[in-house]
Amino acid sequence: MEGVGSWHEKLKDRIPEDLGREVDIFETQMELRRRGEVDERLFAETRLRRGVYGQRYDNGQRHDGTRTQELAFRDHPTKGPETFWDAPGMVRIKIPYGKMTAEQVDVLAELSEDYSDSISHVTTRQDIQLHFVHIEDTPDMMRRLAAVGITTREACGNSVRNVTACHLAGVCKTETFDVTPYAEALKEFLLGHPDVQAFGRKMKPAFSGCAHEACGLVNMHDVGYIAVAREVDGKVERGFEFFVGGGLGAIPHPAQLLTDFVTEEELLPLTQAVCRVFARLGEKENRGRARIKFLVAKLGIEEFRKLVFEERETLPHDPRWTAYLEDVEAYREEPVRKGVALINGALTPAFRAWHDTNVRAQRQDDYAVVTVKCPLGDLTADQMRSLAEIAREFTGDTLRLTVEQNIVLRWVSQEDLPRLHAALDAVDLATPGAETIADLTACPGTDTCKLGIAASRGLVAELSNHVGHLNGETDPAIKALRIKASGCFNSCGQHQISDIGFYGISRKKGGRLVPHFQVVLGGKWVENGGSFGMATLAIPSKNIPEVVKRVTGRFVEEREPDETFTAFIGRLGKVEVKRFLQDLSDIPAFEEDPSYYTDWGDPRVFTMEDYGEGECAGEIVPLVEFGLQASEREVFEAQLYFDSGELEQAKAMAYKAMLTAAQALVKTEFHDITAEPDQIVTEFRARFHETKRFHDKFAGAKFANYLFLAHDVGGNGGRPEQARDRVQEAQLFIEAAYKCYERIGTAGATA
Amino acid sequence: MSGNEAVRPLTSSEVSVKLFVDEQSVVRPLELIAVFHQWIKEGALQDELVIDVANYEHVPKGPGIVLICDKAHYYFGVRAGRWGMRYRGRRDARATGEGAIASAFGSALRAAALLENDPTLEGRYRFRTDEVEFGIYDRLLAPSSQDTLDAVRPGLTSSLTALYGEQPQSLELVSGPKEPFMVAIKNAGSPSVEELLERVPAPVG
Repeated sequence: MEGVGSWHEKLKDRIPEDLGREVDIFETQMELRRRGEVDERLFAETRLRRGVYGQRYDNGQRHDGTRTQELAFRDHPTKGPETFWDAPGMVRIKIPYGKMTAEQVDVLAELSEDYSDSISHVTTRQDIQLHFVHIEDTPDMMRRLAAVGITTREACGNSVRNVTACHLAGVCKTETFDVTPYAEALKEFLLGHPDVQAFGRKMKPAFSGCAHEACGLVNMHDVGYIAVAREVDGKVERGFEFFVGGGLGAIPHPAQLLTDFVTEEELLPLTQAVCRVFARLGEKENRGRARIKFLVAKLGIEEFRKLVFEERETLPHDPRWTAYLEDVEAYREEPVRKGVALINGALTPAFRAWHDTNVRAQRQDDYAVVTVKCPLGDLTADQMRSLAEIAREFTGDTLRLTVEQNIVLRWVSQEDLPRLHAALDAVDLATPGAETIADLTACPGTDTCKLGIAASRGLVAELSNHVGHLNGETDPAIKALRIKASGCFNSCGQHQISDIGFYGISRKKGGRLVPHFQVVLGGKWVENGGSFGMATLAIPSKNIPEVVKRVTGRFVEEREPDETFTAFIGRLGKVEVKRFLQDLSDIPAFEEDPSYYTDWGDPRVFTMEDYGEGECAGEIVPLVEFGLQASEREVFEAQLYFDSGELEQAKAMAYKAMLTAAQALVKTEFHDITAEPDQIVTEFRARFHETKRFHDKFAGAKFANYLFLAHDVGGNGGRPEQARDRVQEAQLFIEAAYKCYERIGTAGATA
Repeated sequence: MSGNEAVRPLTSSEVSVKLFVDEQSVVRPLELIAVFHQWIKEGALQDELVIDVANYEHVPKGPGIVLICDKAHYYFGVRAGRWGMRYRGRRDARATGEGAIASAFGSALRAAALLENDPTLEGRYRFRTDEVEFGIYDRLLAPSSQDTLDAVRPGLTSSLTALYGEQPQSLELVSGPKEPFMVAIKNAGSPSVEELLERVPAPVG
């Protein structure tokens, strides 16, 4: 905890109070778990909602190619079911709409070096992930992030995940308007909102500035917004097409239109209504069917829409619904340099190749967007620091992450492009081929993910050797294609909306497992991930490069004028695709070619022994249990205050702990209970005390009276020496609350 | 710095030592993946609980091939353009002060010796010892500064003398203010990895 020379101490003046408090709370929760005072399942969901994720082998087992070895981690309490405390994990850092300042980039570089392996990994949802992080480092990591305005809160678990948006928002030629301030408003509104705490699964939001480009990927999101405008009484009114129920995963669903125009004023409340309907009616038991797409499919969009609009009518007014519009009005992104056109002089071939694929003109004259192609989404700390300096010099301090695991620099004056190219080249970040077939995407797969079946990163690294060098001379028909790979059917690599996609599976030959990829062809990347590809057949991993060669070759030879790849695959049909790839599904005997029995980049004989239980789905924890856990943490803090002689704080915190426990119980019946002490006590008295439901079999109303007495004296009233009693009373009250919760059962408690 | 403050950088668990490959052109990083997997299988690093191998060969001037352990990482990487083996403590320091330096040197040298003697590498990997990079990946306890170098200099000099004998040596801060603290060590002597390993003090306790 806090001490001289700690990050807590060093950054205390730089961390916003609320963010700092959140980290302190998490650190206390860790301590309580270490003492075995918090259930492992509850702690797992707690850490997930702080972005602290599990990683492969954290169950203490690893197959070495011959046998499964036990990893002898120390015998501490676990950090989740079958998850060793000491096993390193991944931390997901939410970067809303991918926007980062140079200072934030510098801090990420530091964190990757101090706590990870010097690599920052850009994800397909504009997050940054650090791997091999020890849980005891996470509070300081969070403090260092908080000091530059970043939170990991709700980056994982059953919560609202990162709010993504087009990386070109504000500078794009095809957008209706800049969605950035709306994405920011939604992020602020939903973060920690009471209505998003009781989902059965995660919810991913996305914004797009237009309908026809890919960048926003609205069609595959749980909730998505496409900017539209209409004219009302001669005035242009901004709004959004509001989509729900999209998603990839094993069973992809295209998003459905909830309403064709939600106004700026209704954007937040209507989203809130969707969240409440999802929390109330979404599946909680069967994790495989708990995403909102299944609820929309089950109810039908008409019924879902009806429920949402009914819910909207019941929402208590929140001034934040419209307060953000002032920020929209004020939002500006200013360049650091005056825009001047590029003069075509003595430009090198390397510059021209890079300019051809990595540079696009902005909507604003004489400015350009530059895409920095990051292999497999990875950047070293040195590259991150250089990017921060480059951003300061060329763009006005910011950059954005993209869903293709790249980084864009916006507001670059075109005359600066040669100098910028040289600066990027000096740190190996000027590779051409961005947003082409040479720009491949992969999820972490078996490298670090517990759910990974096959090595998606290994495959993509290999494919990069085949197509990564393609540039100007590549046939234009295939140049714009996208290749994406996922390590399993969960689709984190977004293979279903790429032209050529793969996801990892396994097959057996002669009693041995062989890594395979299912080949998915013809997905539509444009139109916000407009349609999903066709699963064709399973091919051994080692034959996948030949698949790419054959498919692209046939497209070049047989396509009709202006025929897209999606249309071409549709025209060929599944039967023909299978026929011409069928021979590649053959597996030689192990004795003939053992390489087929290992995966790309991994010399071990392929196995499924390391396949584990993923944490993507989080743990289903009823809301009441979070509340009771919070009350336990508060009474623990009250005890710490008491031990350090801070008696007034001890009394106040003990009282607060009782209020939190009472509020948790009330919430099982009255979802909109506020944090107002008078309301909590009134509702608790009416619902649990007067009905005698809180009464102890032997002590009767004794424990409830602890709360009422503390409330009557204003929480921290009474003599200082009463602090010890107050802390003990709070402990007893919380015990009684747990017993009451057990008695009333969990029916309705997850609402 | 006061005396007390002067020892603080070496209370960090994040001490690192990098030994450079003598002939850079022999390096084929991808072959290290199989070597590291074999180390895990055989338990070759006796003091470590080894967890996995991470491959960052695709990242230029990056960490390369990384052996992830419970209390340390071993990087066969090319940061700043030169291939080498870096031991980097991660948690639960085995020692502090000069003990931490000796421990880090011992771990780096043992890993280097394993590579030099690995039969699959056919003796191609030799490590030079006249140049070593010493670092501390801990910006709280050891920011990249001359003050930190001044604080670690006595312990580092003493440790190097124990390893190399009374040979002339130089210590130079080579990291920028935003980078992890890193010192280039140059020694007049160039004993073999095996010789140095024999001189590493046994761990205390």
